[in-house]
Amino acid sequence: MSVDVAPLKDHTWTGDLRLVVHQVRYEQKAFWINKTGAMFTIGFSVIFLIMLGATNGTQTISYLDNITNDQYYVPGFIAYGIMAACFSMLTSNLVTRRETGLLKRLRLTPLPAWALLSAIFLSTAIVALVQAAVLLVIGRFGYGVAFPRAWLAFLIVVVVGIACFTAMGVAISSVIPNQETAGPVTSVAFFVLLFLSGLWFPLPPHSGLETFSTFFPVRHFLTAVRAPFEQQAGMSAWPWHDLGIVAIWGVVAGFIALRKFRWSPHRG
Amino acid sequence: MPALSVKSLHKSYGQLHAVNGVSFEVVRGDVFALLGPNGAGKSTTIEILEGFLKRDGGEVSVLGVDPGERGEQRWLRTRIGVVLQELTVEPFFSVRQVLERNAGYYPSPRAVDEVIELVGLRDKADVKVKKLSGGQQRRLDIGLGIVGNPELLFLDEPTTGLDPAARRMTWELIRALSCQGTTVVLSSHYMDEVEALASHVVVLTKGRIAASGTPSSLGGRDMGKVAISFTMPEGIAVADLPVTPSCLEGLRVEIDTDCELEVLSRLTHWALEEKVSLAGLCVMRQTLEDVYLRLTHEALTSKDEVHS
Repeated sequence: MSVDVAPLKDHTWTGDLRLVVHQVRYEQKAFWINKTGAMFTIGFSVIFLIMLGATNGTQTISYLDNITNDQYYVPGFIAYGIMAACFSMLTSNLVTRRETGLLKRLRLTPLPAWALLSAIFLSTAIVALVQAAVLLVIGRFGYGVAFPRAWLAFLIVVVVGIACFTAMGVAISSVIPNQETAGPVTSVAFFVLLFLSGLWFPLPPHSGLETFSTFFPVRHFLTAVRAPFEQQAGMSAWPWHDLGIVAIWGVVAGFIALRKFRWSPHRG
Repeated sequence: MPALSVKSLHKSYGQLHAVNGVSFEVVRGDVFALLGPNGAGKSTTIEILEGFLKRDGGEVSVLGVDPGERGEQRWLRTRIGVVLQELTVEPFFSVRQVLERNAGYYPSPRAVDEVIELVGLRDKADVKVKKLSGGQQRRLDIGLGIVGNPELLFLDEPTTGLDPAARRMTWELIRALSCQGTTVVLSSHYMDEVEALASHVVVLTKGRIAASGTPSSLGGRDMGKVAISFTMPEGIAVADLPVTPSCLEGLRVEIDTDCELEVLSRLTHWALEEKVSLAGLCVMRQTLEDVYLRLTHEALTSKDEVHS
């Protein structure tokens, strides 16, 4: 005997919100259960900061208004941490889930695509924010690097960065064919860009590298995260120009991400 | 209204006409089996019904809605359950965690403890998925298929890789669901499973329906030839037998016939008169597997025409 129930076609926004929160909880669980992955994502930026800080942290950079290396590295590794979480971690996470059929399986449940993608975005953002907070605290109490003075500018930069690099991560994940190549492809692309964009060493002004790096979002994001700290005289706390370029990359990547996103594994 | 109805369904991948004019209906509460060799179009058909693939032509209605309509898909997915061939569960979650997560996607899910009980994983509820045996993972997959309390359940080879006890348990579960009114669409390579569970069968070959009917009458099985066999009595030559054997294998004689009563009667009268015994006398109808193999073999050997 079949029971006729009124169709539930009218989904309420509270129900949808509950669904996203439900999914974010499990995305977070999945992230923190994998302790190695969590440590790798969050711990890496901390280790880099401590290592570089120990090597030459108190030296000053003449062409950056004599700020110390520590003052350069703290915002730099906050930016790095956000990119690592949103770009590298997310990319390999998505490729793995797609290629093992997990995404396809979710597609066959009533969880709407937008709810899953929002949950993934929010969960990634949480990881990125936790990481930024950890680095701010270590920077403040370990190296005496003051908190950003322009708090609102800092928050806006971080949020735009999270959105941009998440979109890039999703876009890249759809062109990577399998799990085996996900790690190497993203690591190479990521670290080359980081290297060329002056994460580990400040780029001398007007050098060839600096010109090259202006085409990519990484350099601009690094500069944008540094601006709200207001360490240099005459540097605005609101990095409109850099933030704008990061946002443009984000919009383009977001467009590609939504067009190219796939649920099924490439094999069969 | 049937749970599922398909009319002249078509789907091509480039040159390959994977589904070529398939039509069938599934009554609510029935267990329906879709059979066929690999590449016959089963998975394509099922994925179209699930709303995962777009069709090229034909009409499809699942629980009264068109699964190809984007606007209907979310509603439809609250009403159907799907168990895919491959295990697709996050290995680092526990059985209970995955079931609780998926239960949260549905408007009126089954209680998670009830599902754990139904699929027989009570002892493993808090064990991580990666620590489960292959058969236990398979049962978890079935649990994920039913946690949303579906009206229609798609089961793709649900017992492949299960040990005989777990297989019987899964059969019992499918029967119980069917009794509660759940419609089940099953695909399987085990004909005993189909015979035990399905009330209606469709055999696909090369994208077309080769035969359809109940498992006991499929392909003229209830009408077809019967194989009568026995061991040749000592001191008797083939020429002494009252009937002509169809084949001889060692001492084993087999007679294939449409008139089993007459052959049996002549054989038994002769044996009683001659006072010989017919050791291991056996009367066999074709098994479902025989019929299935014949149907799919015919389709493979005939180039253009599909027999039915």
